[in-house]
Amino acid sequence: MTRRRAGKMLAFVFVAALALIWLVPIIMMLVVSFMPPDQRAPRFGGLLISGVSLNNYVTVFEDAEIVRHFINSVAVTIPSVILVVAISSLAAFALARLKFLARDIWFYLLIMTLMLPIPTLVVPIFQINKALGLNDAYAGLILPYTALGVPFAIVILRSFFAGFPIEIEEAARLDGCTRFGIYWRVMMPVSWPAVAVVIIWQFMTSWNEFILALVTMNSVDVKPLTLVPLVYSGQFMMRPGPMFAILTLITLPVILVYYMMQRFMVSGLTAGAVRG
Amino acid sequence: MAPAMILFVVFVLYPILYIFNASMYDWDGINEAIYVGLQNYIEMFTDDRAFAVSIRNSVYWTFLTIFPQMILGFILAYILTSGVPLQNVFRIIFFMPAIVSPVVLGIIWQRIYAPFGGLLADLGREIGAMWLIQPYIADPKIAIFSTIFVNVWQWTGFSMLMYVAGLNGLSQEVLSAAEVDGADARQRIQFIILPMLRHVHQTLILLGVIGTLQTFALVFMLTKGGPNHATEMLPTYIFQKAFTLQSMGYASAVAVVLLVIALSASIFQVRVLGSRFTIGG
Repeated sequence: MTRRRAGKMLAFVFVAALALIWLVPIIMMLVVSFMPPDQRAPRFGGLLISGVSLNNYVTVFEDAEIVRHFINSVAVTIPSVILVVAISSLAAFALARLKFLARDIWFYLLIMTLMLPIPTLVVPIFQINKALGLNDAYAGLILPYTALGVPFAIVILRSFFAGFPIEIEEAARLDGCTRFGIYWRVMMPVSWPAVAVVIIWQFMTSWNEFILALVTMNSVDVKPLTLVPLVYSGQFMMRPGPMFAILTLITLPVILVYYMMQRFMVSGLTAGAVRG
Repeated sequence: MAPAMILFVVFVLYPILYIFNASMYDWDGINEAIYVGLQNYIEMFTDDRAFAVSIRNSVYWTFLTIFPQMILGFILAYILTSGVPLQNVFRIIFFMPAIVSPVVLGIIWQRIYAPFGGLLADLGREIGAMWLIQPYIADPKIAIFSTIFVNVWQWTGFSMLMYVAGLNGLSQEVLSAAEVDGADARQRIQFIILPMLRHVHQTLILLGVIGTLQTFALVFMLTKGGPNHATEMLPTYIFQKAFTLQSMGYASAVAVVLLVIALSASIFQVRVLGSRFTIGG
């Protein structure tokens, strides 16, 4: 037993040391964002600063339209999350429970999309958006993000739905529940862990997506946060402080969403994607 | 199901057909396109060093990200499911880089790798470890490995989380039976746990290949594909051709190659490794 204890202590020390190293880049981001304006060159990449100042955040809110970019990110991300949850849960329900024409072919086509690198589609989506007048429009990102997010969501939700005991559904039907009622009142409420995984995943991918945003959003007014470092890279090139304040502001929302949802993440993954 | 089908046709199926067609043209995106047949492909495979480098880099990236991430991710997951103190805190810490935008990480890591005032260089000077002072992203020979390292740092926590989920789902009866039969920890890992986590290994390889083939933002922000194409990946090359050099046709041809690689990889995985996504219906 003592050997096991010693092993556990050793494992703890290993993990704790590695975790500290792991955090260094994130800590650096925070530290540099609080760098005082009179400090020109941070040492150790910015891990050591001469004092703590909120000046960079003031600069960013004054000189950069950070709130506007934040709203742009929200305006693209939230609709894509809602659309993905709505569309993929209905589709996953249909794929798991209903029979329709060429059902399996549709499933495989959707799965194929999972293997599709987004950069292959960047030229045609740029042209499609141009033809539909969606360049510089939120919808020009919301629609492709939804289309590309749905397959992964279907995979997660479908296996969750498929594992749901059919007897409960039959009982619900005997009690007069419609098909939609079964989906809405029976399946969805118990599928929260899987839905949470879908929400986190879609939020993160839409919030952080870069290449499509880069080619679709040309005017500064509509650019989401992910493009902001490029917009201000010239202006703040020699001033890491404001730049890292921007990076911190971009990152905070995802960390918050992840923190709120993370207790669902492991159970959702266990039940869904990773089930053997 | 209908909305899923419509979105799929407009934003996935049509674009795929589109790039096959566009790859046959010399086209700047504005003026009329000129039909050139297979000329773009011929040039790509015979006289395009940047394309060759990006293929080589994709091979490096595939092997040097997927396996280190899996091995380290499994070790962390094994420790962090064994009841060490603070294991939930550690899980959050290791997973955190995975949720941060690669755009943000690219800028942070520039300051870690910078030769003057960079974290590694300053640390090297301070403690006298001169080997830490390297032109990490300026030397064409090592720049791709420095970039790959950032990817491993970012995604190891994701592998860890998948293994944690897998380990939580393992049958405790089998494990305790093995313990009763006298199997030590190493034997349990080698003969029971690792084989039973086969589906997690497969998922991680699959996601790793997809991730490699779409790597863009990190490279774009950290090195822009340079110096002299040394860290070029297929996506950064497509972007450069299409939107910097306005060669939409040539970019589409590169996109077709990327698509063919992605689809062959998925067919290979379904056939040889067994597909994860078809099980469970």
